[in-house]
Amino acid sequence: MDSTIEQSPSTLSKVFQFLLKYNTIFIFVILVIASAMLSDVFFTAVNLSNLLKQVTGIGIISIGMLIVILTGGIDLSVGSLVALLAVAFALLVNIFALPLAIAMTMVLGFTLGSASGYLVAYQKMAPFIATLAMMTIARGLAFIYAKGSPVTFQTYGGKYMSDFANESLLGIPKVALIFFIIVGLAVAMLRYNVFGRIIIAIGSNEEATRLSGIKVKKYKFLVYAISGALASIAAILVASRTNLGSPIMGVAWELDAIAAVVIGGASLTGGRGTAVNTLMGVLILGLIGNILNLLNVPSYPQQVIKGGIIIFAVLLQRFETK
Amino acid sequence: MNNSSEYRLQMSDISKSFGIVSVLKGVDLNVKPGEVHALLGENGAGKSTLIKILSGVHQKDGGKVVLDDKEINPKNTHDGQLLGINVVYQELSLVNDLSVAENIYLHKLGSSKFWMNWKELYEDAQKLIDSLGFKINARDKVRDLSIVQKQVVEIAKAISEDTKVLVLDEPTTVFDPTEKEKLFENIFKLKEQGISIIYISHHLDEIFKIADTVTVLRDGVDTGSKPVADTDTDGVIQLMIGRELTDLYPARNIAIGSEPILEVINLTAKDTLVHDVSFNVHPGEVVGIAGLGGSGRTETAKLIFGADKKKSGNIKLNGKEINTSSPSDPVGHNIGLVSENRKEEGIFLPLSIKRNISITNLRGIAKRFGFIDAEKESLKVNDLISKLNIKAPSAETPTKNLSGGNQQKVALAKWLSIDSKVIIIDEPTRGVDVGAKVEIYNLINEIAQKGVGVIVISSDMPEIMGIADRILVMNAGTIYGELVKASFSEENILRYAIGEPLKN
Repeated sequence: MDSTIEQSPSTLSKVFQFLLKYNTIFIFVILVIASAMLSDVFFTAVNLSNLLKQVTGIGIISIGMLIVILTGGIDLSVGSLVALLAVAFALLVNIFALPLAIAMTMVLGFTLGSASGYLVAYQKMAPFIATLAMMTIARGLAFIYAKGSPVTFQTYGGKYMSDFANESLLGIPKVALIFFIIVGLAVAMLRYNVFGRIIIAIGSNEEATRLSGIKVKKYKFLVYAISGALASIAAILVASRTNLGSPIMGVAWELDAIAAVVIGGASLTGGRGTAVNTLMGVLILGLIGNILNLLNVPSYPQQVIKGGIIIFAVLLQRFETK
Repeated sequence: MNNSSEYRLQMSDISKSFGIVSVLKGVDLNVKPGEVHALLGENGAGKSTLIKILSGVHQKDGGKVVLDDKEINPKNTHDGQLLGINVVYQELSLVNDLSVAENIYLHKLGSSKFWMNWKELYEDAQKLIDSLGFKINARDKVRDLSIVQKQVVEIAKAISEDTKVLVLDEPTTVFDPTEKEKLFENIFKLKEQGISIIYISHHLDEIFKIADTVTVLRDGVDTGSKPVADTDTDGVIQLMIGRELTDLYPARNIAIGSEPILEVINLTAKDTLVHDVSFNVHPGEVVGIAGLGGSGRTETAKLIFGADKKKSGNIKLNGKEINTSSPSDPVGHNIGLVSENRKEEGIFLPLSIKRNISITNLRGIAKRFGFIDAEKESLKVNDLISKLNIKAPSAETPTKNLSGGNQQKVALAKWLSIDSKVIIIDEPTRGVDVGAKVEIYNLINEIAQKGVGVIVISSDMPEIMGIADRILVMNAGTIYGELVKASFSEENILRYAIGEPLKN
């Protein structure tokens, strides 16, 4: 009798501990189950494939956001970069061969990210300020180059891309496969590569990292450049899905990306966070939007609910760290 | 036993644990009004914890604190201040961007009237500082003050009309002898006003000059209180360490190489006071750098290590000149620096022991494309953990869960993982308990025996005399004198440290 009394709370607390530890995945699973119960349309191939297509753009920039946040920084420019790079890709694909257009867009993304990286790492500018400025600049440039209106794909290369963006392989949208490959690469780099070791070390204690002989500036520069390059991939896929590049794409995406990273348990001061959890964060955000759409909840209440979920997820993590 | 009216402050049977580490195990401390009570003990003996319980920073686990016959239980420092308990901590806690006067009355700024009477505030502050006998303008920004002036402001802040108990934690580390005298005069004045003063210091000469009573803590237990008149330096040291000095500093076989491994030639810093520093370190040698706080010891280490910018001078490793313009250069040449600020500059508190140790050796444990060879890493890390006797459940344990001594071993281990040729250790045993200290001294010996050139910076004089083969004493940014083992003494170090020649 005594032993059962002692036993049960400890098993219970173990279960509780387990749930807290994997709370992001736990929330995700609950949301999936709840969604399936609330709507019969949810578990259809069409809907799930739509959901995946929708989260791909934000998902890819969230991975860039994660590696920036791991160093203790932030990248507010990614949403605007998606717009500028989508416009750039639409313009380029109408002039150059497809592979060249893709390569040029990615180089442009890397370069734009490098500009933020240079300001943060070598000019010691606060990441918030540097990327805020880049955000405004990129949005403005997007409007300038698009001359205020969307640029549609007009060549064979453009058509190839828009077909690609709407096809599936083994039932999974090809764009989502690219997202998953990027997540996989991020897992490999963050968990098993020196690169991940170093950026987590920087976020955990920058001065100690510097005094351990690591070239901190180089890595701080690199994370923003990578974030820019990932924004270019997101931009190409998003533009291809709609067959055009528009300067109003990606508005406030940087905030969704930050939200996804935070829901995934990353610390905004750096040093803590994983790619798998960020993927969960992306899927949770996408799922909420998806199920609320299916239930015909208007978009304003949706925003309120989204905000509530973010607060809930972060409060849950506070238990975990204690 | 105690007549209740005799003491102003009675702390009895105080106990406190952090996690599984019990820091205080039933400590008593009784202080009379108008008494200067010296609280002594080695680093980690529990002095600061005791004071933090008194002031409200920490909450005690057991025991009783009685102030003026009333039991008190301050929940935070504000509570403590309201009760008349003011503490001047070793670490400065001033707001750099505010004026001297604003800092002194910071605790009142929020609670007073809606509009501040700035004129009165500045006048009061100026009067207070003038009464202490130091020259500081109350309107100056704290940022622009010297370290000595900041310390004076810190003391001024703690003195108010309601102060009943004033705690001074190592107040004189940055003071020169005349400034010290001024401080002592002030302490005597406060004493006459009936304020109880708890004085923490490692400088025994100060204790014998100003204290009435001395209480020694050792490993969280008090070894009793004594009137200062009934004891002497040897007696106090005996109480502090509880063993002979010789036990603490292990003897070693010294085999010093003939060719210097590190040569520092006329090194001058761009942004700090360090200038014209020249010295050699031989393989197998432990070179001590002593000097008062602010003499440029740490800055010299950082300059050699490339963490501070160099203006002129050269550094040679094994006879070859090396460039050290950023820390990655010396690390590339296998020169390591264990920083005095362990938590800020030395280790990654949230990260595992493994990640802490490997950070300097990522190249060594990486395979192709920077992917980490997990097996190689585990082997290397576990080997160091057992060699250094780092006490932790596993290599994955976050370093924030370790004791100070084990954290310090981790900080050292990261330089052993790259087989450093020269290791600079700044304050090797700061915040480390006595047992772990001995282990660290042994480690330093072992490292030296392997032919590594070791530079140890320490403000703990018995420590530096115990472990160094040769001591360089710094004064005002340069090396003022060098002591060989035969001439090691606290007096000689101090004379050089204050810029005086030795007495014959």
